[in-house]
Amino acid sequence: MGMLQREDLKASRPDGRMPGWLRLINGPQTLGRGPLFWIVFALTIGAAVVYPAFADAWSVGNTAYFFCWVFMALGLSLIWGYAGSLSFGQTAFFGLAGYTYGVVTINFGAAYGLTIVGVLLGVGMSCLGAAVLGYILFYGRISGVFLGIVTLSTTLVFATFMAQTAGSQWAIGDARLGGDNGMTGMPPLTIPWAGGDIALYSGVPLYYLLLAMLVICYLGLRVLVNSRFGNVLVAIRENPHRAEMLGYDIRRYQLIAFVIGSGLAGLSGVLYTAWGQYISPSNMDLAAAALPIIWVAVGGRKDLTATLVGTLVVLGIFQNLTIFGSYYAFVIMGLLLVIVVVFLPEGLIPGLVKFFGRFRKRKEGMS
Amino acid sequence: MKYSTIQRTATLSTLLAGSLVTSASANDPIQIGVLEDQSGNFAAVTQAKVNAIELAAEEINEAGGIAGREVELVIYDTQSDDRRYQELMRRVLQRDQVDTVFAGFASSSREAYRPIVNQFDGLAFYNNQYEGGVCDANMIVTGAVPEQQFSTLIPWMMEKYGPNVYTIAADYNFGQISAEWVRQIVEEEGGEIVGEEFIPLDVSQFSQTIQNIQGESPDFVVTLLVGSNQASYYEQAASADLGLPMASSVNVGQGYEHKRFAPPSLENMFVTTNFIEEVDTPEANEFVEKFYERFPDTPYVNQEAANSYIAMYLYKQMVERADGSTDKEDLRNVIAEGDVCFDGPSGRVCLDPKSQHMSHNIFLAQVDENHEISFPETWENIEPYWLGENGCDLTQNDPSAQYTPSSPPNE
Amino acid sequence: MEYIHLAFTAFYQFGDAFAFLVLSAMGLAVIFGMMGIINLAHGEFIMCGAYVTVATARLGVPLPIAMLCGSLAAGILGIVLERTIIHRLYHRPLDSIVATWGISLILTQGTLIVLGSSMAGISTPLGSFSVGGYSYSTYRMVLLGVAVLLLIGLYVLFHHTTFGIHSRATIQAPHMAKAAGIDTGRMYSLTFGLGAALAGLAGALYAPTISIVPTLGANFLVESFVTVVVGGADVFLGTAPAAATLAVIKAFLTGWQGQLMGQVGLLITVMVVIRILPQGLSGWLLKGRT
Repeated sequence: MGMLQREDLKASRPDGRMPGWLRLINGPQTLGRGPLFWIVFALTIGAAVVYPAFADAWSVGNTAYFFCWVFMALGLSLIWGYAGSLSFGQTAFFGLAGYTYGVVTINFGAAYGLTIVGVLLGVGMSCLGAAVLGYILFYGRISGVFLGIVTLSTTLVFATFMAQTAGSQWAIGDARLGGDNGMTGMPPLTIPWAGGDIALYSGVPLYYLLLAMLVICYLGLRVLVNSRFGNVLVAIRENPHRAEMLGYDIRRYQLIAFVIGSGLAGLSGVLYTAWGQYISPSNMDLAAAALPIIWVAVGGRKDLTATLVGTLVVLGIFQNLTIFGSYYAFVIMGLLLVIVVVFLPEGLIPGLVKFFGRFRKRKEGMS
Repeated sequence: MKYSTIQRTATLSTLLAGSLVTSASANDPIQIGVLEDQSGNFAAVTQAKVNAIELAAEEINEAGGIAGREVELVIYDTQSDDRRYQELMRRVLQRDQVDTVFAGFASSSREAYRPIVNQFDGLAFYNNQYEGGVCDANMIVTGAVPEQQFSTLIPWMMEKYGPNVYTIAADYNFGQISAEWVRQIVEEEGGEIVGEEFIPLDVSQFSQTIQNIQGESPDFVVTLLVGSNQASYYEQAASADLGLPMASSVNVGQGYEHKRFAPPSLENMFVTTNFIEEVDTPEANEFVEKFYERFPDTPYVNQEAANSYIAMYLYKQMVERADGSTDKEDLRNVIAEGDVCFDGPSGRVCLDPKSQHMSHNIFLAQVDENHEISFPETWENIEPYWLGENGCDLTQNDPSAQYTPSSPPNE
Repeated sequence: MEYIHLAFTAFYQFGDAFAFLVLSAMGLAVIFGMMGIINLAHGEFIMCGAYVTVATARLGVPLPIAMLCGSLAAGILGIVLERTIIHRLYHRPLDSIVATWGISLILTQGTLIVLGSSMAGISTPLGSFSVGGYSYSTYRMVLLGVAVLLLIGLYVLFHHTTFGIHSRATIQAPHMAKAAGIDTGRMYSLTFGLGAALAGLAGALYAPTISIVPTLGANFLVESFVTVVVGGADVFLGTAPAAATLAVIKAFLTGWQGQLMGQVGLLITVMVVIRILPQGLSGWLLKGRT
């Protein structure tokens, strides 16, 4: 923690000129604050914006697909990394929102921007579900590993239930739940436009939309975690009893973080469903539920930037191993996970930052 | 509703490639994407599919390729993970730009990739036995479907053992829909379903189920169990001395349980399958021999291996009859002629233009106490009739949907 | 006669579920319940036990000895993993999720690569017996006996032997234990190895009744976590009552509403128990003492 505080002092000077809310983007709970960071940030965005001009259609669509998952990881970073509550339930809310999107759009179609209504309702449903579950959990004082187990149980119950809804009696309006085969037939995201709606299949327009959403979401979360609310979350993570002694109702803070984080999982769910026009129980089962935890833990859960970059890196590496690694893909994935956890306890990204930081300092020291 | 950007990209790449396309295509290899689960839960049954496709590709190339063009396989391991199907189906269609794709074991995997095949208007072969009902112009199905397996199996069993039937089925689409078929046929034949039980896929302990079956004393049990967890049933039933004949559409032919379990746990199991390595015809023996010669480590040549092999030759025939075109519509026009047939390992099979499913010779395999197979009955040329009779006609329109007996296409 | 039969049926179904829960959870109760390591590779220890058992039994070794070999192999694997990886994670249990998930991927896929996608199984020994017109597998009753014996054995081990006392001391108060002259590193290894060996034993005992595939461990994972969480930290006072409670619920729901409700019922029980007894059943049972 010492290193972070030192950087705090350094970074606090230029902040003086910024308006209050903007200063929060730069606040104490996120890695990367100096001008160098923001220059790199701007360059990255620039690179991401021009990327489709240089990459083939598949790479662009595939990157957009990766973006779909990042929201869920950022949500988990908030719940687990900042508020200290391990949730194994991200995929339950992912699925809930995906199915909601399917039900809404299959019944009401894609015209008049109804898919956007579907997105909002999907995210709304997952927030609602998270509020109910979170109320039971946090107001019941469940914490630590047990929180993980209960959220995992919830997820598995939901997945097991959805897997047996193959019969035609399991339908909401025209939308058949489809059992283990999943729900298909929902339209992709469609933007109402003069002269014909634009359907966003996995291509360049979807890429830009998701990129914009990701940047907004990332900056928004930075503001949130650096605000008073975020500081309280970190206080709860570091020492819940002390936070409570100081007069904070920690249950309320944990619940709000849980709802926001689960809502982001829901956002991932609707985006994924719209992307592949498909959602199924296998998106929620044990193997799927462990994935967000792995992305976040490998990336570095206690920081949004680390989570964001780490998730993209892990997704990319795992996919490439699948493509080029043949039989050995799983073995190499497993080795990577073990190595990261054992040797980079803070996560891949903070670990690398620290490593290069030390390297740079040593070089400065020599000169 | 086809998508503007794909078209735009397609136009762009056509522009870039320019005249190259027409001149090169005559000599370029024909690329076939292969997405099968070589790792994970389904690996035991799908490795043979990949090998069968490789075997066919080598044979075809040795004999001069498809319409003079070499066949090139683009193989990915989908790890028994539906998301990998989505990612890799996009990759083969968009980046590798293959001419066709052979893909999928689990029904959920097929449903996961099907929207993507539709988005890119590609052509995919699903070479698996499944619950039936897919009416989609972008899909060709070479596996057997319930009407082919149950309309033969159930009446035969009822005549031999009696009218009281107990069904245990995996609690998901395949099991539920197959059980619906069994129920319908048993009732038509004047029998009775004395019990029906659905079992979640992750269940591997069956004591209660075994006891329920004993309580109803059926004449035989229809076992529609799927996956390695549920395969534990046979050993557990045998050790509790259940001793009832079993009928199935999915065991033996796919997961070669009679090889994997110690005898006599599968004794008196009856399976309708369109191929297994024990089928004793000259064509079958030749195929199995070639297979083991090329891939000596293969644990079993199952029906999916035969179907994948057949699919390669059907594709070759379609492309050659379309004068070397691999365009989906040209190939479908060939199918519409109604005589795309192939004499392969399982005898003569033909593609049905209405549903783009395949007719099969159905073999009734019986497992004895030493887990040896005999074939008390064979039915020739059983058509995949259900979709066509119920309003799916891909020569007229393309609903791109999956139907079930309780919600048929013409409803 | 009818009542005797009904009573026996209920007992058999309960005993069957109880044995499965106890045997699959015992190893995890030591590793997760006592040591706090969330071991997602639990299923792979079970798989190791099952594979070694089947392989040695097919070589002609008598089945009980083959089973001991399976258990021993899993125990050795456990000790090796503890020494190389797990011992670095004791102070950050949540990271153990990722590490053990990684280990699980390596072991499952490694088995697939080395031994192929499936292996021929072995028959269930001992045949069947019948009560009131129904026949039952004898081996299932043996499993129940083994489960009960193991529970008693573990109770004795942890409460009445030097190893047990040192082990519990090491895990509850490592510094004190060290000060008292206990080699804590060795105790951690041995305790972890014991957990792995117990998991391997579960695989060994169930090997004749299940399909031998690299992913077989996943069959046991949910049930074992459920039992341990309901039971809480004490191996004996947690696992035994938790398995008994869950077995009653599972046998009843499965018999009444089918296998789906049996599965769902287990998961809902966990949620309820955690909500009202956050320390599990053993926490609740031990409350009176402290």
